[in-house]
Amino acid sequence: MQGNTGKVIDVDLTGRSVKIASPPDAWYHGYIGGSGLAARLFWEMAHFDADPLSPEAILIFMNGPFAGLKLSGASRSSVGGRSPLTGNWGDSSCGGYFGPELRYAGYDGIVLRGRTAAPSLLLIEDDRIEIVDAPSYWGKGIEEVNSALKERFGKNHRTLVIGPAGENMVRYAIILSEFHHAFGRAGFGAVMGSKNLKAIVVNSSKKRMEVADPVRFEKLRKELNTRIKENLTNSVFRESGTAANLEGGMFAGDVPIRNFTSNFSEDMGEALSGITLTEKFLTRRGACEFCSVKCKRIVKVPKGPFAIPEGPGPEYETIVAFGALLGSKDLAAACKAGRICNDLGLDTISTGGTIAWAMEAFEKGHLTGKDTGGVELRWGDLETVIDKVLPAIARREGMLGELLSLGSAAAAQKIGKGSIDYTCQSKGLEAPMHDPRGGGHGMALTYAVSARGACHVADPMLHIEMGACYYPEIGVVYDPDPMSDTHKPEVAVRSVELGGIENSACFCQFADRELAIPEWVELFNTVAGYGWDVEDMMRAGRRVFYLKRLINYRYGRTARDDTLPPRMLEPARDGEPKGIEMNFSGMKERFYELMDMDPEKGIPREATLREYGMEEQAQKVW
Amino acid sequence: MEYWKDESEPIKAFLKLFESTKEDKELTDGLKKVNQLIWFDYTEDGPNCSYYWDCRGGKLEAAAGKPAEKPDLVMSLSADNAHRSWSNKLNPVMAITRRKIRVKGSATGLLRLAPKLKKVAVHYEKVLKELGWEDKILK
Repeated sequence: MQGNTGKVIDVDLTGRSVKIASPPDAWYHGYIGGSGLAARLFWEMAHFDADPLSPEAILIFMNGPFAGLKLSGASRSSVGGRSPLTGNWGDSSCGGYFGPELRYAGYDGIVLRGRTAAPSLLLIEDDRIEIVDAPSYWGKGIEEVNSALKERFGKNHRTLVIGPAGENMVRYAIILSEFHHAFGRAGFGAVMGSKNLKAIVVNSSKKRMEVADPVRFEKLRKELNTRIKENLTNSVFRESGTAANLEGGMFAGDVPIRNFTSNFSEDMGEALSGITLTEKFLTRRGACEFCSVKCKRIVKVPKGPFAIPEGPGPEYETIVAFGALLGSKDLAAACKAGRICNDLGLDTISTGGTIAWAMEAFEKGHLTGKDTGGVELRWGDLETVIDKVLPAIARREGMLGELLSLGSAAAAQKIGKGSIDYTCQSKGLEAPMHDPRGGGHGMALTYAVSARGACHVADPMLHIEMGACYYPEIGVVYDPDPMSDTHKPEVAVRSVELGGIENSACFCQFADRELAIPEWVELFNTVAGYGWDVEDMMRAGRRVFYLKRLINYRYGRTARDDTLPPRMLEPARDGEPKGIEMNFSGMKERFYELMDMDPEKGIPREATLREYGMEEQAQKVW
Repeated sequence: MEYWKDESEPIKAFLKLFESTKEDKELTDGLKKVNQLIWFDYTEDGPNCSYYWDCRGGKLEAAAGKPAEKPDLVMSLSADNAHRSWSNKLNPVMAITRRKIRVKGSATGLLRLAPKLKKVAVHYEKVLKELGWEDKILK
């Protein structure tokens, strides 16, 4: 096998045993790697009746074929399994250094099952794979544990660590790498916590990798790295971070304010933008391994109530989740909230989304002081959020902490009073900080049909609707018209296929926008020797999309679940999208037709599955 | 060129547009935040078809031709696409993706102005009318 190693570490934490599995070549060809291959392994290995936080649940980390190849943007990796937040298939992607190091050690991925009797960590050093008792780390924040692990094993050992939120099985707990790079979405920190696994540490003494055609790959790699570095958007991200264009997003109506009740505030746009962050708090820029984009921020807030020492800074999602979404324009507060979420191990998107819902519920009287233990939840009050709410959630303390630790959808179901209508989520996953009413109606469709729930990185629709994608080889040539349904189902088909490809290849969406479709094919062929043409590659992307939907179907999810709550579908009240109606059901109906999906079951028809080589799956669901 | 008789016409219109935007406080503030020397290079439509803005250190100046100093940002495009852009009829992200606009240098400053393009377009329409070029107005 080339590119990939063909080896996956299979760990039984209960029996404290480790074996090396070799997934069939056909699975790599069919599902690429990353979240696609993780889904294929999950289909094979999972107990579908297992609670996601039970020992029977499995958790799968998986690289894409390009990890470690010194290609800008390709150092990400995926984790997948049953999400404790949604109860469905979930996956999450993380940048940084862990994926390449795991690849150098000789593995494409890790499967975790069972539960250790006491807190432990998994240590991988080339062929040495060991479950190590680690009770002293339990209960501690991620920053402290990450430092301790570096001190104990060496600074070149790469880490994945969970915080108190993961230990306490908060449903949207994260797994954080190097105290900066997050497997943020869908709650897999809680799954690690349920397994008593505080950390995974990896190091390799080797750096060599085999690819199918080294000469052609090297030529392409150099060319792509240069272009990715020089790409205008990437140079803007390097200079001002992922929030560089927050002001532009605000004028477009893409930035959600006060739980998606408003789409415009010029003051907030300027106060929270990446340009302001650079001017006020940036000390250095950071990067994932081999990446020239360098979009990561290192910040310091020197004084004031939200002072923090130099360390990882917030990216766009965190800034909006703890800024505009909560009715605040205090950038220092967003920096501090993000830092605390990192240490406690909380997903900033779901945390911000859940607190925004709670603030609105408090304003409406659907939540009262009796429910919150006397904590007043007011728009813009970040002091209360930071000092009281975040620790309560991470430790599931008091009624408020327990309620909000469930996530917005489950919390709304618990308190009732129609509060589900103003949750901003799909399938239980809180929406990211892009409001599809302004950001693009196609994104409403792709939020709704995404297997893991509302997600802007499940596929590149956000970029397509901005005008940042032009792929004539697959017919993506339309002029962007975000606030309409024109061509959106057709584009969404290509978008979910591309999403399947990039999330399985574990390629960053910022960097890979520079790749033309034939270059994608060339990469897969020169690295992994897949021998694809464009059609083969697009079919693999679609196969990944289909498989995740089939997993969800086995969890009882159907077409009915491909929706958004009323708040996200009603016309916006202000800003650029004010008053514009969205043809959501029309787009969804057409998308189903184009994808040949059953309009009730929400899965591909039997003949289509067979056409995609998914006979085994077809047999199971039809 | 689809919209211009010769290479001098677009520069005349765009310089007048710059002067017009200076009368608008919101746009003036936006321009000041750009804080860069920007060369708008339309030389694919003629060797003299270019102009520049100097918005450094509170200055707000524009002149025809290439600046004497090295610009912080160069935007190269056709004079027709510049016309579409100032008329707010060209999505800048799309134009850059499709290589209709080629950018060299730091575009961060320009990001602060980008949201105001809608307002700039209002000034541009007024300028075209003043120049007696109603026929060039894009609807």
